[in-house]
Amino acid sequence: MAKSNLSRKINLYGWLFVIPAALFIFILNFYPMISAFLLSLQSGRGNNLKFAGLKNYARLFEDEMFLTSVGNVITYLVIQVPIMLLFALVLATMLNDSKLKGRGIFRTMIFLPCATSLVSSAMIFKSLFSIDGIINTALVGIGLLVEPISWLTHPVWAKFVIILTITWRWTGYNTVFYLAGLQNINRNVYEAARIDGASASRQFFSITIPLLKPVILLTTIMSTNGTLQLFDEVRTLTNGGPGIATLSISQYIYNLSFMYNPQFGYAAAVSYAILVMVAVLSFVQIKMGGKR
Amino acid sequence: MKKTLYVLLVLVLGSTMLFAGGAEEKKAEVVDPNAPITLTVWCWDPMFNIYAMEEAAKIYKDIKPNVTINVVETPWNDLQQKLITSLSANATENLPDIILMQDNAIQKNVMTYPEAFVPLNGKIDLSQFAQFKVDVGTIDGKSYGVPFDNGATGTFLRRDIVEKAGLKVSDFNDITWERFIELGKIVKQKTGIAMISTVANEPDFPMLMLQSAGTWMFNEDGSAYIKDNPVLKEALRITKEMVQSGVCLLVPDWNAYIATLNNGTVASTINGCWISGSIQTEESQKGKWAVANTPRFANISSSVNYSSQGGSGWMVMANSKHPDVAIDFLAKTFGGSVALYETILPTSGAIATWLPAAESPVYSTPIEFFGGQKIYEDLVGFAGKVPNVKYGVFNYEARDAIARALSEVMRGTTIDAALATAQKNVEFLMSE
Amino acid sequence: MNKRQGTVIVKYVFLIIICLFSVFPFYFMVVGATNKSVDIIKGRLFFGTFLFENIKTLATNVRLGNAFWNSLRNALANTVAALLVCSLAGYGFQIYRDKGKDTLMGLLLLSMMVPFAAIMVPLFRMFSQAKLLDTTMGFILPTISTAFLIFFFRQSSESFPIETVQAARVDGLGEFGIFFRIYVPIMAPTFAAAAIVTFMNAWNNYLWPLIIMQSQDSQTMPLLITGLTAGYTTDYGILMLSVTITTLPTLILFFTQQKRFVEGVLGSVK
Repeated sequence: MAKSNLSRKINLYGWLFVIPAALFIFILNFYPMISAFLLSLQSGRGNNLKFAGLKNYARLFEDEMFLTSVGNVITYLVIQVPIMLLFALVLATMLNDSKLKGRGIFRTMIFLPCATSLVSSAMIFKSLFSIDGIINTALVGIGLLVEPISWLTHPVWAKFVIILTITWRWTGYNTVFYLAGLQNINRNVYEAARIDGASASRQFFSITIPLLKPVILLTTIMSTNGTLQLFDEVRTLTNGGPGIATLSISQYIYNLSFMYNPQFGYAAAVSYAILVMVAVLSFVQIKMGGKR
Repeated sequence: MKKTLYVLLVLVLGSTMLFAGGAEEKKAEVVDPNAPITLTVWCWDPMFNIYAMEEAAKIYKDIKPNVTINVVETPWNDLQQKLITSLSANATENLPDIILMQDNAIQKNVMTYPEAFVPLNGKIDLSQFAQFKVDVGTIDGKSYGVPFDNGATGTFLRRDIVEKAGLKVSDFNDITWERFIELGKIVKQKTGIAMISTVANEPDFPMLMLQSAGTWMFNEDGSAYIKDNPVLKEALRITKEMVQSGVCLLVPDWNAYIATLNNGTVASTINGCWISGSIQTEESQKGKWAVANTPRFANISSSVNYSSQGGSGWMVMANSKHPDVAIDFLAKTFGGSVALYETILPTSGAIATWLPAAESPVYSTPIEFFGGQKIYEDLVGFAGKVPNVKYGVFNYEARDAIARALSEVMRGTTIDAALATAQKNVEFLMSE
Repeated sequence: MNKRQGTVIVKYVFLIIICLFSVFPFYFMVVGATNKSVDIIKGRLFFGTFLFENIKTLATNVRLGNAFWNSLRNALANTVAALLVCSLAGYGFQIYRDKGKDTLMGLLLLSMMVPFAAIMVPLFRMFSQAKLLDTTMGFILPTISTAFLIFFFRQSSESFPIETVQAARVDGLGEFGIFFRIYVPIMAPTFAAAAIVTFMNAWNNYLWPLIIMQSQDSQTMPLLITGLTAGYTTDYGILMLSVTITTLPTLILFFTQQKRFVEGVLGSVK
């Protein structure tokens, strides 16, 4: 009798711990989300909204700007995320070496970019890649370029700069996660492999990566989420240009709400499109990575 | 550890209570006419708009000492966002009494939220302002904006560079775009310096060209007038030619554009008269600049040598608790004080659209930076001749579409195809 | 052995290059703060003598101290509240784990997938009706409870032995007592890591503070920075200076706490 009373009491406490945080999220996140969903079922300008069913969602498929922005974001995703995570993995592996001198310094310097705000880092990169900025001056100076490239007004180079900015900003973050994960792996495993004659790269691919799978999965999902919701960097660096060559989905939502004639219903539908994409991709990634 | 956490928790909650309390004080209504009143103004740019507003506040303090003007610095993008968020959430208690609004956005905002702004007809004498500015803020006969920042365009030239090429400043007055390109080629050939620059992927040139011909991207009935718009086609054609002939330099963003002026990388610029402020920051170029009027189209009869770019106006918000005081404030300062315009002109380069101000001797002072030319007199004169144009509700959509069309045309797409895409884009955004 | 040495050298060179790459933009930013705007636009790379001028101009044009204090206060309040709420939840989800809680956790994770732009307007409406606009509470409420932080604490708590909890119960400690007296001290590195991440995010937050701020008094550093770029001409020297000042607290925080940070992340990744 006493045991079940105790376990019921403990159970109650368990929920007490959890409820405040859950409540916050329900009220401040889920409730507005549902509100936004209801909004996405309405169409109209400003505050003149009337029910329109799934019309907004159907409109998405005819919207060239929306489809282009999806294409842009997927381009960023497919190129940036794998490169960044691979970089982070390699860096973490290097930093994991206890014989490495100046480990602490390297680690700090690599994480440093994460201390900047997204807008600050974008502003800095914008200066660096301007027509008479350092990058152009340097590249022309060493002869790699004949004349300066207008990075941010070129449909391809602009994307490059955006990808570079994001990678610069977030590689350190992921490196720390991998570093932590690596420190979990027993040295003996590597020792045994080394004795067996496995090269460094072989060890990397056959031991490191499989054992880090859960962390890799976590960072992949986080990075995918972040890239799909990309906003600040694009807005500061290119404002979606040239034309709509670098437009991100979040930026399109912003334009629909605040720059153009406000279409909050349609903007909400676009938001939900992002949500669906993130959910689907996360699901696929989890399934591919096996159970966590 | 527990104790420290509890203490911290209490501190945090306590301090937030302190600040939560502040919100309730704003409810008090004022009945006594001489009781202190605070008008809140949202605007941006400490060197320009905010400065002007603060000078206006000083002037009004002498007229009505009980009124305090509280200026909240709000960048334009942020202002739009906060405004629209508040209006769409029907949460207007925290909106200010007066806001500064870019001319491009007035129609959109008024037509989307007609109840949010106070019509000024009959309360302020708007007849003394340059009519094209008043027109921009007038919807269905009701005027909502007190014009402020004059956007009348001019051709700002480096006299020394132009003369080095064997030309005179007067050669640039009352000309066509074709002639401008010809002259630009001469300058480039004789001095190696590009004639002009513009921000790539921005629709600035097409927009000012459209206005010089008295047309815009929409028909009377509101439908998009892009695909079959002969003025727009000419505008894109001329812009492309300027760039491809080397007459016009493309730069990636605004600051690079200003740099071309300050560094002497270009010999001129064609933009709203507010650009004179930026030009004058480069001390070493004193005495070397001059102003001519804007080129016009050769084969479009409605085209004149005057246009407008940018510009903004003050609007009174309907949620204001003291709309009459706000209107009186604007009427007595921006709409009634020559002294105000005299003060702000030399320091910030803010040029009046209020015509009586233009009669002040300050406006007919020869300006040393421009070689003694009375540029402010000239610019106000230009303002009087700018064609009236209604920007419309879907202005930003159209501007973005044209910007995109322009960048496509630069990369080889035919003008007709680019404009057809632009029309389609705008129509999509216009549909519901 | 030469190949080995060769590999080591390559490793060091690679790391040094990466570090230079990571740090260069900061160098650019700090150098910019000491130069004149026109020089920065021209691409000047070396320290100038304009630092004091820039500081003076910045201090007279904007309310620097006010914005800094606002950012600091908001970030600290946010961090303390978030640590409290999310650690309790993370602990709860792990130590009292059951099917119901696992489902709830999964549900909460969905909240990370919502772009802020989507919930901005409904949130604003709510806060306006609750008269929370322009208050510190208003600034921090939406970011107190985040699925990420809860998840982080839950994962870290996996290594916290349940036997300790049970023993403490036998000793007569209440559930909350166990949490505050035993869990928190032991998990200090986790709290440190969470504090750093939360502080950084709160400090750099832009979109929500923008909407909820209604008066000049409540301006925060990120808002101040964009304000500097809103005029017809941008003074790059002042801009870089304000960016530098804005980045300092998070930099200092990370420099001083980085060991604990890695320890903390380590604990969550087991």
